[in-house]
Amino acid sequence: MSTAQEQMNAQLGAEDQEVVDKFLKDNVLFYGPDRDIMMDHEVSEISDVEARALENAPDAETRNIIRARIETGCTEAFELVENMGAAPGAKWGDMIVGVFSRNGDLSVASAGGVLLFSVLAQMPVRFMVKYWKDEPTVGLKPGDIFIHNETRYGNIHNADFSVIMPIFAGDTLLCFAGCIVHEGECGATEPGGIPPSAESPFDEGLRLSPMRVGENYTLKRDLVTFLQHSTREPKLMLAGLKSRLFACMRVQERVNELIDSYGSDAILATIRQTLTDTENEARRRLKTWPEGIIRSTIFADTTLREMVLSKINVEMTKKDDELIINFHGSAPEFRNRSVNTIVSSLKGMLAQQFLTFVWPDLPRNQAVFAPIKVKTDQNSFLHCSDDAATAQSMMSIFPAFGGIQHGLPKFLYSAGERATEIIAPWWHMIDTLLYAGITQHGEFVGNIASDINGMSGSARWNRDGEHAISPIFANYVDLGEQELIEEEIPMMRITWQRLQKDMQGFGKYRGGHGAQTIATVKDTPQWAFITTANMGKFPSVIGSFGGYGSGCTPMCKVKGVDIFKELEADPEFLKSYDTVDLMNDMPFKDGDYITSHMGMPPEVVERGELYCTQMGPGAGYGDVLERDPEMVAQDYRDELISNWTAENIYGVILNPRTAAVDRKGTDEARAAQRKQRLARGKPYKDFVAEWETDAPPEHLPYYGSWGDPEVLYRGSPDRTCSADAIEPTIMSDPAELEVARMRKRLNDMLDRGVGAAFKDG
Amino acid sequence: MNRVSVDIGGTFTDCFLAFGGQYTQAKALTTHNNLSTGFMDALGRACQAVGQDMESVLGQVDAVRYATTLGTNALIERKGPRIGLICTAGFESQVPIMRARGYGDGMPELYKADMSGADRPEPLVEKTMIAGIRERVDWKGEVVQRLVEEDVRRAVLKLVDRGCQAFVVGLTNSVLNPEHEKLVERIISEEYPGHFLGGIAVILSHKVAGRKGEYARIMSSILDAYLHGRMHHGLAGLESTLRNNGYSQPMLVTHNSGGMAQLNSTHALQTIHSGPVAGLGATESLAAQFGEPNLLATDMGGTSFDIGIVTGDEVKFYDFYPIIDRFLVSTPMVYLHTLGAGGGSIARYEQLWNAIEVGPQSAGSDPGPACYNRGGREPTVTDANLILGYLDAENYAGGSIPLSVRRAERALNDRICKHTNLSLVEAAQAIRRKVDANMADAIFKEVSVKGYDPRDFSILSYGGGGPLHACGYARVLGVKRIIIPPFSSVFSALGAGNMDQLHIHEKSVYLTIYDSVTRAVLSDPTELNKAIEELSALGREDLRRQGVAEADVRLRVEVDMRYGNQLAQTAVVSSKDRFENVRDLMELVQHFSESYEKRFGEGSRAPEAGIRIQVVRVVAYVEHEQVPLNPYRDGASGEIDAPRHRPCYFEGQSDPVETPVYSHSALEPGSVIRGPALVESDTSTVVIEPGWKLTTGLQGAAVMERDEPEQSSH
Repeated sequence: MSTAQEQMNAQLGAEDQEVVDKFLKDNVLFYGPDRDIMMDHEVSEISDVEARALENAPDAETRNIIRARIETGCTEAFELVENMGAAPGAKWGDMIVGVFSRNGDLSVASAGGVLLFSVLAQMPVRFMVKYWKDEPTVGLKPGDIFIHNETRYGNIHNADFSVIMPIFAGDTLLCFAGCIVHEGECGATEPGGIPPSAESPFDEGLRLSPMRVGENYTLKRDLVTFLQHSTREPKLMLAGLKSRLFACMRVQERVNELIDSYGSDAILATIRQTLTDTENEARRRLKTWPEGIIRSTIFADTTLREMVLSKINVEMTKKDDELIINFHGSAPEFRNRSVNTIVSSLKGMLAQQFLTFVWPDLPRNQAVFAPIKVKTDQNSFLHCSDDAATAQSMMSIFPAFGGIQHGLPKFLYSAGERATEIIAPWWHMIDTLLYAGITQHGEFVGNIASDINGMSGSARWNRDGEHAISPIFANYVDLGEQELIEEEIPMMRITWQRLQKDMQGFGKYRGGHGAQTIATVKDTPQWAFITTANMGKFPSVIGSFGGYGSGCTPMCKVKGVDIFKELEADPEFLKSYDTVDLMNDMPFKDGDYITSHMGMPPEVVERGELYCTQMGPGAGYGDVLERDPEMVAQDYRDELISNWTAENIYGVILNPRTAAVDRKGTDEARAAQRKQRLARGKPYKDFVAEWETDAPPEHLPYYGSWGDPEVLYRGSPDRTCSADAIEPTIMSDPAELEVARMRKRLNDMLDRGVGAAFKDG
Repeated sequence: MNRVSVDIGGTFTDCFLAFGGQYTQAKALTTHNNLSTGFMDALGRACQAVGQDMESVLGQVDAVRYATTLGTNALIERKGPRIGLICTAGFESQVPIMRARGYGDGMPELYKADMSGADRPEPLVEKTMIAGIRERVDWKGEVVQRLVEEDVRRAVLKLVDRGCQAFVVGLTNSVLNPEHEKLVERIISEEYPGHFLGGIAVILSHKVAGRKGEYARIMSSILDAYLHGRMHHGLAGLESTLRNNGYSQPMLVTHNSGGMAQLNSTHALQTIHSGPVAGLGATESLAAQFGEPNLLATDMGGTSFDIGIVTGDEVKFYDFYPIIDRFLVSTPMVYLHTLGAGGGSIARYEQLWNAIEVGPQSAGSDPGPACYNRGGREPTVTDANLILGYLDAENYAGGSIPLSVRRAERALNDRICKHTNLSLVEAAQAIRRKVDANMADAIFKEVSVKGYDPRDFSILSYGGGGPLHACGYARVLGVKRIIIPPFSSVFSALGAGNMDQLHIHEKSVYLTIYDSVTRAVLSDPTELNKAIEELSALGREDLRRQGVAEADVRLRVEVDMRYGNQLAQTAVVSSKDRFENVRDLMELVQHFSESYEKRFGEGSRAPEAGIRIQVVRVVAYVEHEQVPLNPYRDGASGEIDAPRHRPCYFEGQSDPVETPVYSHSALEPGSVIRGPALVESDTSTVVIEPGWKLTTGLQGAAVMERDEPEQSSH
């Protein structure tokens, strides 16, 4: 509401106010994203209908049995989508199926899948309850099928599509069934569903607010045709719609059976009480954490169009049964870049942290996150305006996740009770290829490769991390099989999921290694690769309690070559299948070897050109000099580390041939390293005096607060704004900047008399 | 018919002997160090029961058939050879990474959800024992990088130097073009010929599994190689012992594909889980002989609850990507779902819901339930059953395990009652309700996800704990009929005796029946027919090698089909083993659509997205004579009096009921017992809940039916 309107309202009497309110209610231009809904991640107030049901509620034991049965129904429907769906998301588990309360809160969800939806999926349902339930032209009735994909009404990005169905008991709205799948292609400015080059929401493809696409459990062919026509993959759109619809219908069938057995009040009460019980349990657990403040700073290094350093400033305050996460002082929004996030998506990602890494035993519903408050600066890149692009919000919410993950062990170490292990930060970036083009079967496809599911696990307080095991946004998902992938699309891996030597989060316990992939194409008339990731140049996976963080994972490629031609001529052409060796040894005589950051817009790939991506490692935990030398030796045997690393990082002296540990040599090497540490050490105040500056360096495109969180830098020391009144940052087109630079160089040359003939020409 | 069938389980070796028109069952302890000792012990007891000496029996039986958990045990103990894996260069880390999901394969949901605590299983192949060779075949089977022999020799030498005892060769797209794998095999045999001491086994992945998907195929091959030596020595030793005792026919081993084969036609991997699969085989046989169209096989043991499905519409349920131990493989296996629910399942108070949860954690057999008095302090389902009066503390398991009511009460008091204000009996009732609900939920999901309604099924209940709880989970499901099979304590052994000789061969293909982009319909079925012929020939050859006459070989053709770009496929049984024209193909499409809608719901078919065949499968089998079973005696002997009573607490009743207790061995066939009642034997207790009626049959069989209508809660 505008300030002018607030002033006017303040002057109105109650009667006048009523008239104005009615006028305003009847004259809405359109039902845009509702700020109240989008900002609220807490559990709704208990409605009168729910209160009545709770009065007649069955005992806790019966509710437990009903809840288990609803969850079983959701899991059954989840499996159904896995079987019916065609999107890589459906194939590899990037989805969720759930039952929402009649107020729209997600109460019970399927056992597997993407848990961040747990705190995001309720928004479109709440919107339907608030705007469509009583709207004469829409309404809600049995058999209605609603869909939605626009992130500003909920979910992470427009590649995520929902189907939502209201479930009635007689005439009473009982609950909703919903299914959300990362379908991918959505008709955006670039194929694949998450366009890195999007400069506004209108570049992000279909923008479906919650809308009805079917009645009587039947999709409307005219609307389905419109949806198919609006994206590049009509086949995917149809398969996705059908699988999500039948999942919801299956859930409805199960809920109806429960109504027959226990009555509708019992179901209503169970759905509602599940939320209350979950929130109470989360609060109880939080209460056992020590009180205090933990701070963490982390940086995102790209807008996907240019390299920048965007600060994510994290301050977590634990007080009583609440945790307040404050991002005050983080980078301002990049209005015309796709890396911003709306705050609800940020919350979804943070909720994932608790659901998967802190309290994996708690049920998957939004109440888990209810006791956690999130504070952000409006118009920061973690809480952007509706006008900013968000297709690649992963570039801001994933590092924010990393920042939280870095801070949480400090609470958990002294927490009264823990549900799982304390861990260092996971690898949190999507170093994988997105693809688009025409397959060997003549179909157009655009999507993301399943390598995204192979993020590496971090070290635990008591053991090493696992290699390439799970993305931060889901559990028990799948990398798939290369033979099945290359049967569908012309992307052929030369190297597939190979653990990279020395790319380790060192520590007393080391993080898991990331995997690298070298991809190329054949049998396609047209193909393009895209990459979107942070940490190409500046790492943001930080070690815990003395452990090392990650290195960087730049994009590497060899253009202007045809690997197939070379392999045909000489099958032993490639001496190594490792990216680092490939880029250092340069086996192709005339190849163009390129290393860059990971923001790569669609780039046409020719047959046999090589594109190399790699996931970095999970962070290490504890001091490297405390690592058991035998574990170092085993890593050496397994070719995870070189002898150089064993000696110089871990201070372990090995026989390079047998990997036998030289105990005496190791003790001496470690003693020497400790001595060197003492020699390097200096008092904290001296360190601060030497390193602290008043403002970021001039050469650095720095965004966010430097010292004072109230003042945000916007790319250079002389461009600042207040964190309370962030001015949108409009970035220049890098191509235009390049042209301008070239033109200036040309003019300089001409001015110096070089190429005068050209000027005359 | 004279036949010996044996199930060599983890604890007991069960024997079922059909001889001279008599049926006999016997049990002996399994002897893991030498299977033949336990085997011959059980067989000796059975022979004694029919008054024959062993040599005489073995000389007259037409077959000795058996299922074994030897492989399962080898995996649990991690006793296998040092395997060297030769894979395509660049793919060396694929097996260690296990498709990312590998940490959770075979584990409960809670474990899968906990990423901070996730650990992959101990690998079967060490990282240092994996060598990549330079070669590549593409998705069409075309070679894009030739294999260089010297490169292979280097890899082989490296692995042998590191102690390789068995080779697995798993190269990319080898199911389309196996030449490179064959070449590697040739090179290994040149370098290390089999006639040298310590000849090394070589397993080629395309021979173990015919499907695309290199990781699961290689894992299948690794498991095969891992188990090969132990299975071979164990089973060959057994065969030799039988021969020394007068047996001259070949032995038949149960395969997890649902059939049997001779030892020389058996991959080690095919024997894993063969015991439970034999149980399902017995269920199929019983369904046919008893005229029960739809049966849910439920086997409740100490730690787990196995569910299998037999339907009257001849659809066979396979798991094409089963998980064995903690490893995903791609050899077809009869579908069985295992839930962590058994007598040893631990009950706990769940603060979150202020309610009782049961499992999946189990007290196992050591220390076992608290009432075993072996140090277990956690309350279990068995403890609850004891408190409710269903178990006889003095005569549990034939008196071999004395039960302590006091220990059971203390465990429930300490862990449940203190937190819930429930009385001991209320807590025990709640535990029972919860475990029954868990089992019913699992059955419901497994059945309904395949497109069936569990209420259209009868439950077949066996295993030590099944009849204790069958009324409970049947009630929740709304199932009205429970069958306790004949010879239930050796039911899997009986199943091993009733299975057909059978082999499955399958092949990945890429056959577009309808291309929705070009709108082209496949009219030439040549490629499909070619695949069917090729696979049929392999199946015939398998059976021919085992002495089966060509005329006796039956074939069943199945195809895995999908719409559009779905990953998952639906198995369709073809009515034809040769397709002549487009009409035949359209008939197959129609059959696919009907199967699909049955499973996923009316209107779910989506032929407009395109239709493809992904896998062709041929099941080659020869039908064997079945051991006839007699469920009922002519003319019922009617209701009978109970020899004794004891107080029991039943669902929904707070006061104990003086419950009649019958001894199973004393019941005449045709006896009718109305619930509440208990029927006890050395191996199991049948709880007949109020509202149910049990009628005994021949050979230890019984049928429980609802006496009065009750609504299911599903």
